[in-house]
Amino acid sequence: MSYLPCGTYFESYADDQKWWRTNFIKGKMLVMIILLAAAPYLVDSQWMSVFYTINYYILAALGVQLLIGYCGQITLGHAAFVAVGGYTSAMMVLFIPWPEFMVDAGLVYPISIVCAGFAAALWSVLFGLPSARVKGFYLIMTTMAAQWITVPLVITQYVSQIGGRGQSFSLPPGLIKIGPWTIDSDEKIYYFSIILVLLCFIVMGNLLRSKVGRAWIAIRDNDIAAETMGVNIVGYKLLAFFVAGFFAGIAGAFWISALFFVSPEHYEWFYSLLWVGIILIGGVGSIQGIVFGSVFVVMVFKLLEMSVLGLSDILMTSYPELGWVTTKLIFFKESAFGLAIIFFLIYEPNGLSYRYWQLKNYFNLWPFSYTGK
Amino acid sequence: MELFLQLIVTGIMLGSIFALVSLGWVLIYKCSGVLNLAMGELTMIGGYVCLAFYERFITIMPINYAFVLALIGTMVIGLILGLLTERVFLRKMIGEPVLAVIMVTVGLSFFFKGMVFMFWDTDTQIFLPRVFSIEPIVVGGIAVGAVYVWSFIAAMILMVVFVCFFKYTRWGLSMQACADDEMAALSLGVSAKFVYALAWAIAFMAAGVGGTLLGNINGLNYSVSGLGLLVLPVVVLGGLNSVPGAIVGGITIGILQNMAGGYLSAYFPGDIKEVAPFIFMVIFLLFKPYGLWGWERIERV
Repeated sequence: MSYLPCGTYFESYADDQKWWRTNFIKGKMLVMIILLAAAPYLVDSQWMSVFYTINYYILAALGVQLLIGYCGQITLGHAAFVAVGGYTSAMMVLFIPWPEFMVDAGLVYPISIVCAGFAAALWSVLFGLPSARVKGFYLIMTTMAAQWITVPLVITQYVSQIGGRGQSFSLPPGLIKIGPWTIDSDEKIYYFSIILVLLCFIVMGNLLRSKVGRAWIAIRDNDIAAETMGVNIVGYKLLAFFVAGFFAGIAGAFWISALFFVSPEHYEWFYSLLWVGIILIGGVGSIQGIVFGSVFVVMVFKLLEMSVLGLSDILMTSYPELGWVTTKLIFFKESAFGLAIIFFLIYEPNGLSYRYWQLKNYFNLWPFSYTGK
Repeated sequence: MELFLQLIVTGIMLGSIFALVSLGWVLIYKCSGVLNLAMGELTMIGGYVCLAFYERFITIMPINYAFVLALIGTMVIGLILGLLTERVFLRKMIGEPVLAVIMVTVGLSFFFKGMVFMFWDTDTQIFLPRVFSIEPIVVGGIAVGAVYVWSFIAAMILMVVFVCFFKYTRWGLSMQACADDEMAALSLGVSAKFVYALAWAIAFMAAGVGGTLLGNINGLNYSVSGLGLLVLPVVVLGGLNSVPGAIVGGITIGILQNMAGGYLSAYFPGDIKEVAPFIFMVIFLLFKPYGLWGWERIERV
């Protein structure tokens, strides 16, 4: 929370905790929503896929932020829960013989999203159970084990074999319908993702300013102190895993509508690490941080990709004998991303949301900002 | 019964490599408190560097000398890389939160992986001509590949060297002091920065030799880093800050992995061999969270 503008103050706790504390914030949010809604008409259509990728990363990193940033439970296996969500949704759409009227009404996919959320949440609670006894590094180990057990073993070896399709389930176009809308173009995927992100943000924000959120933050700050204050630690930790898994399941279920197929290589360990990287870049313990981190990471990927493609085009046309460089550039991309994470953590340890906070305060307190320490 | 014995023996020999790599991991954790997730990539780098040296040396000298010289070269490169990594990346992270330090090691693993594949491509590469003969060594009806036996011997020699280094040299003693109580060690004139650098250098050297041996067994590709990642179950089993724990844990995980490969793969499709240590680790964590000989941390508000 940043400082309020000069001369604005509240007299009750309820006022202080409002969604929109001042009219300026309300106006800012409305402008943002209008901009988001108008985005497909403002930018080139090739950026739509970038935008919904950002939204997917936001959805997936939401659960990671909840666990790491608000409840202090470090997780390095979130891709497993996203995978459970994606596969649950895909299999429900593909394999369950739905009655005709439900298919026509477009109820199948929305129902599968909710079920995916619950399946991923339960799977996440299962691997959250050790958090009752262990914490810190040992919890990292169990969540990593969740990744290794879920994706390479259960999903690749058992789930993918159902129906005899081999490695990936492909969803025929037109199958993914929400009500009267068939999700078939980049714009529709984008709108769908924006709605999901806004809904999840509202849920997360409301959870965090209620009793549950305060309990999570108490556990993060000092779990033993929280226990002596009467917080049911195990219950709230498992609840955190449940909610984080639910968000992950929704993210997974959304992503199949964008990809039109689902296969294990979209849920590798790399993605678990990437989402933790996103919240560290954006700022741990900040909801805006997820957005900043996702935008930063996806943009860095996109720019690296564009520069690599551009470079290899130039190389191919003017120096054909240097063709081998292009294959090297792909790996250079990965190295550069690793270095970006490292230098971000070294030189900007508070994340981007801290800079945003400073900027906001500067304008809120202008011209009488306190410039001491 | 014969299969059982054979799996056990091969498991012990494979496990000794894991033990060697885990030794490096435990050292870093003991001395500087860094939980290193880049160990798999360090292992992989070692393998590739050794291969590069071997391919140079093989043209001018017989196989045995070339391999030993290549191993020594790998250790020298590991020393330099370890000192550099500590100086450039990790020293700036002293005093930062645990998660940030872990993510720096994750970033390191991306960086190293990209670098390795940039230089050496992703195809599987093998040591040619073969360093160890394909003929297995048969003792009392148990056949063990020569590469396993030599790996075991090499890993054991290196482990003895490292343990002697900690026990009897001045540098080793300063590392022990720093691991035991950093404040007290600092006040007695031990340079903590030097100790951290040394720990990283030793970890790189141990991982490099481990990677070379693993590369000789299965060929070098990305799966070597997966095997290197097995240090995590190993250290959880042995306790995070226990050197004997790392050795016992490594050998146990080696046996367990071989057993799973020998007996369970008939019932489970796919790579149960790779996943079994992690499943074991989760169950083990529930019952004995601090490992066999790890320090139990008592917390106060």
